[in-house]
Amino acid sequence: MAPPAKPITSPVSDAWYPTLALLMLSIGLVVTASFFIYEATSLKRNRCLAKELITGGVASVFLGFGSLFLLLSAGVYV
Amino acid sequence: MESFRFCFLMLTIAILASPALSDLVLSKVDRRIYLTSHIVRISSTMKVENAGSEKESKVLLAFPEQQAKNMAYLIATPHEGKGKGKNPVVALPVEAANPKDMPAALTLYSVSLPKGLAEGDSFTFDVLAVFTHALRPIPEQITQADIQLVLYQDSAHYLSPYAVKVQSLSVKLPDSRIESYTKLENTKIHGSEIKYGPYENIPSFSYSPIAVHFESNLPFAVAHELVREIEISHWGNVQVTEHYKLIHGGAQSKGEFSRLDFQARPNVRGASAFRYLVANLPPRAHSVYYRDEIGNISTSHLRGDSKKTELLIEPRYPMFGGWRTAFTIGYGLPLQDFLFESDGKRFLNITFSSPMVELVIDALIVKVVLPEGSSDISVAAPFPVEQWQETKISHLDIDGRPVVVLKKTNVVPEHNQFFQVYYHFSQLSMLREPLMLISGFFFFFVACIVYMHADISISKSSASYLAKQQWEEVQAVIQQVQNIISRCLTTHDNLEASLRDLSRTGNIQACKAARKAADGLLKELSKELKPLLTFLQSSPSAAQVEELVAKERELQEKVMVKHSTVVDGYEKKLGARDIENRVALQQQKLTALRQEVDDLLEFIDEI
Repeated sequence: MAPPAKPITSPVSDAWYPTLALLMLSIGLVVTASFFIYEATSLKRNRCLAKELITGGVASVFLGFGSLFLLLSAGVYV
Repeated sequence: MESFRFCFLMLTIAILASPALSDLVLSKVDRRIYLTSHIVRISSTMKVENAGSEKESKVLLAFPEQQAKNMAYLIATPHEGKGKGKNPVVALPVEAANPKDMPAALTLYSVSLPKGLAEGDSFTFDVLAVFTHALRPIPEQITQADIQLVLYQDSAHYLSPYAVKVQSLSVKLPDSRIESYTKLENTKIHGSEIKYGPYENIPSFSYSPIAVHFESNLPFAVAHELVREIEISHWGNVQVTEHYKLIHGGAQSKGEFSRLDFQARPNVRGASAFRYLVANLPPRAHSVYYRDEIGNISTSHLRGDSKKTELLIEPRYPMFGGWRTAFTIGYGLPLQDFLFESDGKRFLNITFSSPMVELVIDALIVKVVLPEGSSDISVAAPFPVEQWQETKISHLDIDGRPVVVLKKTNVVPEHNQFFQVYYHFSQLSMLREPLMLISGFFFFFVACIVYMHADISISKSSASYLAKQQWEEVQAVIQQVQNIISRCLTTHDNLEASLRDLSRTGNIQACKAARKAADGLLKELSKELKPLLTFLQSSPSAAQVEELVAKERELQEKVMVKHSTVVDGYEKKLGARDIENRVALQQQKLTALRQEVDDLLEFIDEI
């Protein structure tokens, strides 16, 4: 084979999976908590849809990545 | 009976037919038949000479049809000689041949020589032929206490379309009893090796049948069906799952099985059975499991080093002739050992067959599951296989993952070579899985938002609904008032901080500037407060709110007075003690008032 074959690895190193899972999930849960606190304490007139959506979006990004790394660290290589 | 008729046919052919083939002559043939395993291997070293005038480039290899039916693997390589191992051995191309005027009961293969053989030249090459199910157990049924005897039939003279000048044959048997063997001329026996030959000047197509009947207690492990699934995950793992259906391919066991006898004296009662199977997994294999339909099988041992991982498994019961068992072995492999990238395409480089030692597989199905988003799939295998594509739905999949299925029958350990599966995969497709999870969570949050915003009360004009609406408005206004008052309090705190700074640095100008800013801010806040207060006049909690506002105003005034006094004191350059004395009384009142304001705020919070 003319060009040498390069081995392919995961974009994120294996050893980082549990740490990343914990980190991302905790940040995601904190943002989720802030989202729900905002929902519970704000009154109808004072609510801002943009703020809700942004908080929800950020929380879902962190929770999504956190659950992906959680699955990978548990051995379910999705 | 069959073999008798067959060799009669062969003799007739030998006598009657002597076709003038190409003028090649085999000047030396050394054959070694290894019967030390239930897989029969015949290794022949042949020296072919061109006795004619034309240049030849192909040599024909002949096998009797019955033997060829059992042939699983055939390879021809140039002979290495004494100095082995310098260059990698390149196999000579072998293909099935069908020349005319050949006896019908022969299967022929032609080996292409690397350089043509000119007149008088000779060339030495090795041929390895591997046969499965070539040992016939005779007697076909044995009890637990009998020994297993098998019969092997072949020819002492090498069956070839060419004349052979000098040939010899050596049959290697396992270290056990030899029941009987055909005695021809020049037959010698040394321990467990039978030598036939050397024979000289044998004509072409000569066949001299021999039969060896001997005891073999080696494990006759035959996998009736093996499904090998290789799943690639770009996140760092290649998962291999192998489903085995094993049979003991030796003499069938008849009569009853006595566990007591077997465990007490296994070498006498049950010598033909096998208990262990060894598999050589690739190095750095992890998460190895061994289970069957019932559950996990704990009788296994795993030992790893840097070259291989050795797995020794013990089925749930010892395998006697004709008994079957089914189990599953699974293990994970690190991705970087098997997945590579070259020329923009990725390819998987992995062994084809089972890692088990000396296992004959009747039907092998290899399924390579590629991640979703792979395209342009192609397979490069070192031997012909049947292939087709399927889809498999696995974790976090939308449509399913493409699966390449390869099927081969009659597989022996020599087939355990590397094969490649090429495919194209863009790195962005790896985001597919986290995006699916993220969208799932986002959908949940949107549902919450919709729920909170939706007004699901049935009647919009009932008294309770309207009262609720009003109350919510009042609450909103109160919240805003609270907000403003907290901002006022923060301004007071800022002023206090500026006073402390003054006492530390003595910068009067900064203090005055802070005072100015605070004044401006407080004016704005009181302006904001006015409309809210007018709104609140009508509601019941107006009283507390007004009280709060009044108190806050008082506090504000007092703070201002204190601030001015302290600044004056500094301007007149009075001592710290003096200033303190002047403000002492005011300070007391300030702290009391502040406490009251805080209490009121809390009280309003709880409404």
